[in-house]
Amino acid sequence: MTAVETLPKMSVLEALRETLGIADPWVENGGVRWLSPGTLSVRELAKAMNAAKARFVTITAFQLPGDAGFRLEYHWDLDGKLLGFPYSLSGKSIESIYDLSEAVDWIEREIHEGFAVDFVGREYEPLLLRQGDTLGVNLRDAVAVTEVKK
Amino acid sequence: MSYKIPMGPYHPALEEPYKLDLICEGETVSDAKLHIGFNFRGIEHLAETRNYIQVIALMERVCGICSNIHTLTLCQAMEKLTGLTPPPRAQYIRVVIAELERLHSHVLWAGIAAKLMGFKTMFMTCFELREQVMDILQAISGNRVNYSMNRIGGVNRDIEDPLAILAMVEALEREMVRTVIPIFTTSTTAISRCAGIGVLTNEKAVSCGAVGPVARASGLPQDLRRAAPYAAYSEMEFDVPVQEGGDVKARLLVRALEIMESCKILRQALTKMPPGELNAGESKIVFSTGTATSRVEAPRGEVMYSVSWKEGSRNPNRVHVRTPTFANMPAIRYMVIGARLADTPLIQASIDPCYSCTDR
Repeated sequence: MTAVETLPKMSVLEALRETLGIADPWVENGGVRWLSPGTLSVRELAKAMNAAKARFVTITAFQLPGDAGFRLEYHWDLDGKLLGFPYSLSGKSIESIYDLSEAVDWIEREIHEGFAVDFVGREYEPLLLRQGDTLGVNLRDAVAVTEVKK
Repeated sequence: MSYKIPMGPYHPALEEPYKLDLICEGETVSDAKLHIGFNFRGIEHLAETRNYIQVIALMERVCGICSNIHTLTLCQAMEKLTGLTPPPRAQYIRVVIAELERLHSHVLWAGIAAKLMGFKTMFMTCFELREQVMDILQAISGNRVNYSMNRIGGVNRDIEDPLAILAMVEALEREMVRTVIPIFTTSTTAISRCAGIGVLTNEKAVSCGAVGPVARASGLPQDLRRAAPYAAYSEMEFDVPVQEGGDVKARLLVRALEIMESCKILRQALTKMPPGELNAGESKIVFSTGTATSRVEAPRGEVMYSVSWKEGSRNPNRVHVRTPTFANMPAIRYMVIGARLADTPLIQASIDPCYSCTDR
């Protein structure tokens, strides 16, 4: 690929960064172009990604050591570039973006089930991956007591 | 009056354990709910208890069809954390195995689809051809399902005589052109069961985040081999087949055309394979702290691995796997709405679902 061909794609990313109102630059690391969202809400981010016609890929959840909470990494694909936006959760809830992008439905349900993270603003169907009604037993050390709507 | 028909999790029309709750008005499906997780194995959690050699063997068992793709994606992610780069010959061998796997997966799917169409002769033809692909994979790796080809920094085994493999691929291609492709694209039996059935519109494919042949059959020209080349794909010339119809026929045509493209890629990879080492020749593998991500275009679509490691640790902190069926399955609801009940087994099969991957 020539330098001329890469220019428009770079400018798309820069335009997206400006649209999001984020001052920090894109950082390429581990196969992902990362942008720290700062105070930008995940719902505003999802709206901007929809407007940019980016394809939602997945959310990766990490449980942080001790009581540090969780880190959720939201990924979208834009013209073959994998974009990443990390969100740290000091508690265990974050706004759902299911109503903005139905592609997130199953992964929000899976993280809710595996990590007991609550995606605020949506309802859950019975568990996606397992039978039963106890959340957070797959990947978390402690079993969280959370009711599941049946 | 509407009524609910539960289909699965163990049902003669379903190849794997999942459940479709179909809401019907007479013979017409008006809505559907999908349930998975009947064989969930917790492999991501198990991966956190395995070292960097064991975790490759573990992830190869996520899927019984695209087993190589899982180790390829995992190794590519771990190579980003270790700074190891596979030598050119290893990159070509990775392409060969990945395309052979795509061939045997697509031909397997064609056989299953033929069976669901009531076209059992075609089912036998497809499985006979699939055997030939598996013979090639066995000749290269010694194994028919889990090939154990990938390692961090390269591959474990060489293709010692690429031209002999090429002869096998060309024989297979001739048979595909003579039987499978014309029958699937012109046979009245196949077309009448597939045309206009299970439509996923372009808009719904976008909103559901569909991937792979399902997306390409709904007019989305996305393919990571082209958009974000890995291994030696940047050196291969091939087309990305796209159909606009969004129905079962379009998904059938996309896969049929992809079989031909895979043969084209295999011919290039086998004839241009450079000499050299098979791996980076590392004596000790050292991981740096961080998270690395890798994506590849599996037979069913995009697979993504996110691997997190802490320096000095034997085991990964976290391995997250996003499989293509996990992305495509929710779209089945839109495909079956308005369909005849009798068409639902073929419609759900048309996304080539893999529940081994989904219930990882």
